[in-house]
Amino acid sequence: MPELFEDQAPAVAALSVAGSLGAEEKRPVLPPEFNWRDYTVMLLHVAAEIEHSLMVQYLFAAYSMGGPQVPEARRDDVRRWQEVVLGIAKEEMGHLVTVQNLLTALGAPVNLDREDYPWGSDFYPFPFTLRPFSATSLAAYVVAESPETWSGPKADEIKRVAFESTGQYVNRVGALYSRVDAILKDEEFLPDESFHAGTLPYQASWDEWGRGYTRGERGQDSGNVPDVKSPELLVFGVFSRDSARRALHEIGEQGEAPDADLEDETSHFNRFLGIYEELTAWPEGDQALVSRPVAQNPVTEHRLDESEVAALGVAEVTTSPITDPVTALWGHLFNLRYRMLLTDISHAFRLAGPVDNGGVLTGRGALVHRAFAEMYNLRALAGRLVDLPLERDAPDGPRAGPPFEMPYSLELPHHDHDRWLLQRDLVQASRLLTDQLLSTDPSCGGDPYLVALRESDQRALEQVEHILSRKGCTR
Amino acid sequence: MTSIEELRVLPPLAVGRLGAAVEPMDNYTAETDPDQPLAPRRLRPAPTFRVDRTSGAITGVETPGELRFTDGQGKVRPVAPFLEVWALTDDHVLRPLTLDLLRLNGLTPGDVRWRVRVGNHKIQRRTYDDRDRIDADTEWFSDHAAHALNGLCPNFLEGRSLPLGHARYLQPTPGFPGVRLRFTPAGGHVYGSAYTDRPTDPDPNVVDFLYDATKGTWRGHADQAGDPRLTIPAQIYAGDDGPNGSWVSRGYLDDECDGLVHVKLEVSGRELTAFGRIGAGPPAYAPDSVPIRTVADELDQALSGPRATAGDTLEQARAVAEEVLRRATETVRLMNTEVMNGNTVDGRVDAASTMVRQDTADTGRLFEPIMAPSLVDTAAVLALHQNVLAALRSGTAPWFADVLRDHDEVGDLTAKGRRKMPALMRGADGRSLALTRRQVDLVRLAARQAIFRQDTDDPEVPR
Repeated sequence: MPELFEDQAPAVAALSVAGSLGAEEKRPVLPPEFNWRDYTVMLLHVAAEIEHSLMVQYLFAAYSMGGPQVPEARRDDVRRWQEVVLGIAKEEMGHLVTVQNLLTALGAPVNLDREDYPWGSDFYPFPFTLRPFSATSLAAYVVAESPETWSGPKADEIKRVAFESTGQYVNRVGALYSRVDAILKDEEFLPDESFHAGTLPYQASWDEWGRGYTRGERGQDSGNVPDVKSPELLVFGVFSRDSARRALHEIGEQGEAPDADLEDETSHFNRFLGIYEELTAWPEGDQALVSRPVAQNPVTEHRLDESEVAALGVAEVTTSPITDPVTALWGHLFNLRYRMLLTDISHAFRLAGPVDNGGVLTGRGALVHRAFAEMYNLRALAGRLVDLPLERDAPDGPRAGPPFEMPYSLELPHHDHDRWLLQRDLVQASRLLTDQLLSTDPSCGGDPYLVALRESDQRALEQVEHILSRKGCTR
Repeated sequence: MTSIEELRVLPPLAVGRLGAAVEPMDNYTAETDPDQPLAPRRLRPAPTFRVDRTSGAITGVETPGELRFTDGQGKVRPVAPFLEVWALTDDHVLRPLTLDLLRLNGLTPGDVRWRVRVGNHKIQRRTYDDRDRIDADTEWFSDHAAHALNGLCPNFLEGRSLPLGHARYLQPTPGFPGVRLRFTPAGGHVYGSAYTDRPTDPDPNVVDFLYDATKGTWRGHADQAGDPRLTIPAQIYAGDDGPNGSWVSRGYLDDECDGLVHVKLEVSGRELTAFGRIGAGPPAYAPDSVPIRTVADELDQALSGPRATAGDTLEQARAVAEEVLRRATETVRLMNTEVMNGNTVDGRVDAASTMVRQDTADTGRLFEPIMAPSLVDTAAVLALHQNVLAALRSGTAPWFADVLRDHDEVGDLTAKGRRKMPALMRGADGRSLALTRRQVDLVRLAARQAIFRQDTDDPEVPR
């Protein structure tokens, strides 16, 4: 693997830049076509995409867990694990918005994009795959979040399982962050004035995004499931070199606990490892019952059902088209609400929060709330999709699961007025889909969730119209 | 056999509502609109007893075509609850006490005896002077006249009493043979305190002066800081700023009350008794909303204990979770969340009585808003609650058990603690409000269980 450190001259294209954590004493080397600031921004863009895709894959795994086939005696464990995985996904959301803060502080655009299939860049831990929760998929997550020092027979065994399940050596997420930190800490690469404290009102803050989760108070019981600690949402504002490095360090530590004792239960690595060990101690028959029979990589587009070979010789990524027409509508609705979520987050970053105690409020708070509301909608829709058939005329076949397909564009219009036009478009599109579901399918007629969603969309539409009619909305 | 063994007054607790109109409020239900599940509940007229004012007999049942909360002349119609007497007979059946049942036991309606005792001790609660207690007692009666509940108080002006409404034993008839008492609360007026040794300025806020401000201390009373007996929070009476930060009472009284309805019946030489509780509160100005924690929730907890029980089905737990969210949505609708959160309002800090003021006053901490100030736009908060309610209707497990405030977290002043739900609201002890332990536990039960469901599952299987 070529490395862009001085003791190995750059020989390949810019993106082949996976370094190792042990390389801290080495100085990073600038790839062609970049200066240091832009290179940092590019690496942070990659980091954002990794956090985003990990979060989505963890959510998919968590949503797949459960179902009526789970043996009664195993249910408390499964529900507990689901809470842990959901907690990790929530923490990844914190990482994702913190990376957006880093980008914002450097004066770069936010990046809520995510590489779809096929998958390639040697910083990415493993090919993006939406898979139901199982010991093999879990092995890949354990390795992706593992610290560099993790070794021994158990480590070798889990790495082997991860290799078999992903078709490649799983990269550690931490490698990218140590590369970014090696740049951040050096004044020659990035002078102090690269960090714009004035962007703080635009950045995400824990107070806005933390939603009552803990901040630096480890060990509080979560209220949902006994014995599961509340997730710890890390959202750091970035206003200087030190705050930028601290943000990255904390994110890295929450993933893999590089400086912590391996037994420290707070890292993603240890939480995943703990579940892996508990799950693999079960009889194999029970292990197979932990999740609903959900397809891999469900997609709404009617692609040909054939393997797409991803780049870099990784395992084949197979998508599972949703051919059941009603399920497909639910899948489209899921994708649309996912787009709304990303739009809301992105839009919120364009508006400043109040710098005092909120004497004057912008639409930012409403957008943050809308973003959370879409998370709740995604949860609700995923709950439907893991219970709906994937294929037409195969009611007892595999279940669909949430497709998480990326929208055609995440670009926001330049003028705020036009951003609200986009918001209106998305709500109207959702209304079309809910009306279609409510009117065309008898099984959905009067579905209490769809009826409620239609109503909340109607109310959202009224709010958006109100904003659009206001003189304060600038063009 | 239908020999009467014991008596009950049902409901055991009835809450009336003040109102000055002559005709009490009609009966109604509040239902969720299936087509607009996020909207406020719809009020629907319901069958209502009509009582003849002269005879005190129920003359019929009517369902009004429309609901009116006032008499059209600006006066609120009082909510006047009926209390029924039920009998436990020797076959262990609880049945309404009726003319027939009385006759079978050799009794007539005239053998049923009632006594209503109510009080308003708000002044005495603050002055600690027993002569400030206001009490009314009808003594025992068996007739069907309206018995005024006149609140007497040693510190009142000569010959004055506080009207607390009236109680009436309704005359059982063949058409409506049950034994009932109706409690009609007072008009909802504010009364004042007058001096007897000097002139008293007229006061547009009061309908009359009842309290002798020369004899008693209520007018001019100020809670003494540091007194351990004070209400929490203290100084919750109509008043004005006084010296040294004191809050000086204007000497106002209201005509709310609560108390007991006793019933007595001698059967075969045995005296049977029972009682129910009544109270009168202010009118419901948001009758299509239910507070997030009600007396009914308290009674449910008293009955079933603080935890979910083996008899609670998942479906019931889910229904509780949805009801909590619905009520939260209804509550947010009535709040100015920007003010309640402690945001700066038109340049003013500490613009209203809020939990932020409470936290600041109790602990000397910095006046700090509860939620991030950017988040509390009222329309946005309402929309968020509606969205949570919508998502909950999908059958997914409630995920917000995490942010519900536990009963032992009401004094947690960390950012996380102050931001727990219900937010921005005060409980009876001056700290943040929490749901009942049982409400919280039922939401958690639903949160733990719902991922194993399938749409085809039978919803009513106990755990």
